[in-house]
Amino acid sequence: MPELRKDPVIGRWVIIATERAKRPSDFTGQQKHVKETGDCPFCSGYEDKTPPEIFAVREPQTSPNRPGWYVRDVPSMFPLMQIEGDIDRQGRGLYDQMNGIGAHEIIIETPKHIANIADLEVKQIAAVFDVYIQRIKDLEQDKRIKYVLLYKNYGVAAGGSSIRHCRTQLMALPVNPKRVKEELVGARRYYEYRERCIFCDMIRQECSTHTRVIERVDGFIAFAPYASRFPFEVWILPEDHGCDFHRLENTKGLARIMKLVMKKLSCALDDPPYNYILHTAPFRRMSSAGFWKTIDYDYHWHLEIMPRLTKIAGFEWGSGFYINPMSPEDAAKYLKDVEV
Amino acid sequence: MQQLRRDPILGRWIIIHYDRIKEPVDYKDNSAGKKNTEKFCPFCTGNEDKTPPEIYVDRPPETRPNEPGWNLRVIANKFPALRIEGDLQPRGIGIYDFMNGVGAHEVIIESPDHTKDIADLSTEQVSKVILAYKHRCIDLKKDRRFQYILIFKNHGRSAGASLEHTHSQLIALPIEPKKVREALQGAQKYYSFKERCIYCDIMRQELEERARLISENEYFIAFTPFASCSPYEMWIMPKEHCSVFHHLKEEAIGSLASMLKDILLRLKKVLTDPPFNFIINTAPIQHEAELDYYHWHIEIVPKLTKVAGFEWGSGFYINPSPPEKAAQLLREVS
Repeated sequence: MPELRKDPVIGRWVIIATERAKRPSDFTGQQKHVKETGDCPFCSGYEDKTPPEIFAVREPQTSPNRPGWYVRDVPSMFPLMQIEGDIDRQGRGLYDQMNGIGAHEIIIETPKHIANIADLEVKQIAAVFDVYIQRIKDLEQDKRIKYVLLYKNYGVAAGGSSIRHCRTQLMALPVNPKRVKEELVGARRYYEYRERCIFCDMIRQECSTHTRVIERVDGFIAFAPYASRFPFEVWILPEDHGCDFHRLENTKGLARIMKLVMKKLSCALDDPPYNYILHTAPFRRMSSAGFWKTIDYDYHWHLEIMPRLTKIAGFEWGSGFYINPMSPEDAAKYLKDVEV
Repeated sequence: MQQLRRDPILGRWIIIHYDRIKEPVDYKDNSAGKKNTEKFCPFCTGNEDKTPPEIYVDRPPETRPNEPGWNLRVIANKFPALRIEGDLQPRGIGIYDFMNGVGAHEVIIESPDHTKDIADLSTEQVSKVILAYKHRCIDLKKDRRFQYILIFKNHGRSAGASLEHTHSQLIALPIEPKKVREALQGAQKYYSFKERCIYCDIMRQELEERARLISENEYFIAFTPFASCSPYEMWIMPKEHCSVFHHLKEEAIGSLASMLKDILLRLKKVLTDPPFNFIINTAPIQHEAELDYYHWHIEIVPKLTKVAGFEWGSGFYINPSPPEKAAQLLREVS
């Protein structure tokens, strides 16, 4: 019997269609082989192919925009937002619009031509997360920015480009995105009555039932969420409560669990295309409208990893409801058992 | 330069990307592709026994059920996302809620002809398709377990179509989908302040500005919405206020059929047969009476861009084809 599950935070329903249950092998081989470019603009030695760097972790005594870096942050070559200018909001009849003020940066995760984060060393992944933190802290100073979204598109089916060099995209936005708002509102609704963080409760329940837990490492937990939208969807959460990713003090543990999970996905699904998204609290400035005081208590930052194995069609589009042919319990079991 | 536009109903922001404007040729690789007539197709005439029995059919009186001779058939989906038998039995475990996946999942085979797409069918045949939608809604709304009927079409493999023979699908749901609830809430908020339907206001503004208008006939208008999520997104809306699709009047069916066919033909020409989804957005079925604040409409969404991390994380869409430009190209094509 297919089952309808409600995401406890957002209130979105998902259809777990177990009768169409699939094994990991039904999803593999989706990653199209794309040709390697000889002069990848993200490789060490090609620094002049990108706009000048905003920030880099590099060897002492090396100069900016030259080799010698480990992680490098540059403006996007095809920016979706631009940093210059003031926000200009307008209305035309019914319709509201504003100009696209913000920032669009690329965090290059390694100087070597490596495609998948799973193939980086733990130390390197930790350095990447340190750069995320640096960039968020820096952009927090800019009063025009309300939210910083960090995400990754890996593989063509996940919207990535054909240049297979490991990188994260950063988008600093002048408005709070709708998805973020929905999650915040859901978390607050739960907190108002119970005075507990819904994510902390989720971690407690996952640890006691154990059927969806994949790994627990150094204070972090990885599990297949109860109302997974996608086969093999995985969330990583810090077990200690915290709403802001950029207040994380040590990124080692996160790097360790991240590498493990990405390695397991890569082995179980033969290098699948995926997206991952960092969900963190928006900037809180007392003067801005819509500010609420309980975010520190009711929200919990986390990473959502979504392998892109199924197609989004008319039904999902029309209803905002997803059909997932694999139960998260089965997905968690496969991932727990896979040897890396 | 980029522009952020807010969807007036959902409150969702869209990025219109003027620096990277894409022309129709840039989308050419997305073509839905030629049809293969060699391969076995369960939806073709003569293969009626390969599908579940018909629930609704348009066939001449001298022909027999589940045999050739039909013009249009509605059957149960062989691989349903939801099952018709049983009760919902909503329950919870700790913080998690769930219920049984009860619902109806039907397939509308729009024509016996394997080679044609919906845009190539005669207006008369498209009218039959619309009439079938209407009849199935009226029948399914009697089932008290259902709250919403979603009618949609996936055209082309990348839009999710698994069989190429022209068909649409119907799913009766035991809950009100989130997207529908959001639209209803947005429309209700507007109505409670202005005492006017937001969709009627949108239509008035579109008819006045004309920059996004594609086509207009006796009962319907078609336009590209101001905050389109996808390039070449189009809406078809009845001119007269009406919240429930199946309240569509008999005399307007032909007008809707010719509008739908016209719009899909334009899309096919401008973008060389792109994959697309269309969805009928209508009020939930338990509202028997008309709602003042909601207005049914058909949303046509070509699948030309990939939904990636940014869209997933933000619920914010990037559209590289300004809707005004798309409307102009769609208007000009003959």
